[in-house]
Amino acid sequence: MEQPLIRVEGLVKSFPVPRSWAATLRHPLRGSRVEVLRGVSLEVRRGEFFGLLGPNGAGKTTLFKVLATLVQPDAGWVEVAGVDALQSPGAVRSLLTPVIADERSLNWRLTGAENLLLFAALYGVPARDREAAAWRLLDTIGLAEAAKRMVGTYSSGMKQRLLIARALLSRPTVLLLDEPTRSLDPVSARDFRKFLREEIAGRQGCTVMLATHDADEALELCDRLAVLHRGRLVAQGTARELAGIAGEHRYRIVVPRGQEALALETLSRRGLGTFAALAVADEAGWTSLAGELPGGMPASAEVMQHLAAAGVSIGEFARIPLPLADLIERLLPRGDPA
Amino acid sequence: MSKILALIMAQWRVMVSYRTQTLLSFGGLLFTVVPLYFVAGALQPVMANAIRTEGGDAFGFLLVGTSVIMVVTVALSAVPSALASGIASGTFEALLSTPTSMPTLVGGMSAFPLIMAALRAGVLLAAGAMFGVSMALGQLPLALLILLILVLAHVAIGLISGAMVLAFRTAGPLSRLVLVASSLLGGVYYPTHVIPSWLQAVSGVLPLSYGLRALRRVLLQGASLGAVAHDLLILVAETALLLALGVGLMSLAFRYARRQGTLAQY
Repeated sequence: MEQPLIRVEGLVKSFPVPRSWAATLRHPLRGSRVEVLRGVSLEVRRGEFFGLLGPNGAGKTTLFKVLATLVQPDAGWVEVAGVDALQSPGAVRSLLTPVIADERSLNWRLTGAENLLLFAALYGVPARDREAAAWRLLDTIGLAEAAKRMVGTYSSGMKQRLLIARALLSRPTVLLLDEPTRSLDPVSARDFRKFLREEIAGRQGCTVMLATHDADEALELCDRLAVLHRGRLVAQGTARELAGIAGEHRYRIVVPRGQEALALETLSRRGLGTFAALAVADEAGWTSLAGELPGGMPASAEVMQHLAAAGVSIGEFARIPLPLADLIERLLPRGDPA
Repeated sequence: MSKILALIMAQWRVMVSYRTQTLLSFGGLLFTVVPLYFVAGALQPVMANAIRTEGGDAFGFLLVGTSVIMVVTVALSAVPSALASGIASGTFEALLSTPTSMPTLVGGMSAFPLIMAALRAGVLLAAGAMFGVSMALGQLPLALLILLILVLAHVAIGLISGAMVLAFRTAGPLSRLVLVASSLLGGVYYPTHVIPSWLQAVSGVLPLSYGLRALRRVLLQGASLGAVAHDLLILVAETALLLALGVGLMSLAFRYARRQGTLAQY
């Protein structure tokens, strides 16, 4: 069996808690610490699109910073392609590149091309290849025409793409993406996800680790996912497995008002899920039924077929995305507060 | 070396993108030379005797002092300023994420302001030569060597301040203290031997006192290496000590910030 590309074992990291002036003056040496990572272990395979899902403060960014060798863990170890990240941080930085999603990390007084040329040198691209590498990437991310403009004139979406191109200059084995769509509008975010899946994971063949608090984004993009909550890994699995827990089985059926009883009776008689009418009124003349329907697409097809046969019109049939908070609640052991 | 050059080039491009600022940073030097020329002319009778071992010409004396303190000021602040602005602007984290060693990054980030300061000092000296200062051009290589050691000594102090920036997000008072002491007691505007004896103890520990005296004798009197060997030896010893301290503290601060998780944190 192939060795995992990234191995993280028992990672622990705590940070000092900032204190008030009064507390510091009273007890200068007594400080408390907050544990941000509590024994995190995970493996990422070569070529995988791996998602790290968790709310703000879950420890995603700290885990990425440990992987990028910017933060030293208190305990545990990290190995990338067989290289110990704690012993050989320099070697790991040439394998693994974090995409610093902060637009400010670009030099706004330089053009897009100049930003890439600088980082091509820092990533050790030979001088004769730098121009070609920069322009190839600018072309790939669709910024060739704007390449000679100062980055300060770019839109947020353009800057995000330039940040990705900058990271790709190193031809990384692993790309770390920390909430890359955070500052993008919905349309740009959708285009960007498509770009990540097709270009970065597809054509460039990068192993990608994506940290996000958007469950839908993680489920859409990732092959496997780990859910991080308060520094602990609460679940790991394929996108399909987690989507099951996450509520891939939750659906909404919109039927004409007056037909809800017939629809519910038909579904109940056929044993198709557990649906109920929603109390909240829908658009004029329509009512929503919501419920769980295991069985994936075949079950969905069966529902539509039987409802149609019973004379129920279907205005809409859609999966209900589960909010991240609900997903984490489902994954946590009983009694552990979300 | 290629990484340091790339960082220097990037900073050059940023600087020239601010056209007015670039023009003024060199054009403004005229506003230093002209007043200096007239003030030195007025002070010449008073200063002549005191500066006879350092060229004897007040204009030359003040010109070299002003040029060197300009470079030293930048040498003291180059590392902490580069780190502080890189951290504040967010570029430092991106630079740290590349497979580039910390010494290369610090060198590349702080080399450009030093080069520019040296260029400005060169322009100032050239302008002074046009106003009549006589310089021993044959001793230029030795003068440049002394200036280089002087810069290294002050960069080393800057490294200590840089370590403070990495660890505590403040450069602390050290660089400012050294700058004030050097400006007042390092022989920039008057020779160190006219300073009251109890203050000469302070002057005696400042690298600038030795470097500047040696530089003036070499540049304005054409003194040989042997003639300035005593000052130069003390300067080299101080520089070596300061560099060892600066590099050691930088390395400690880097490890501390990595452990605290604050390496690139604003």
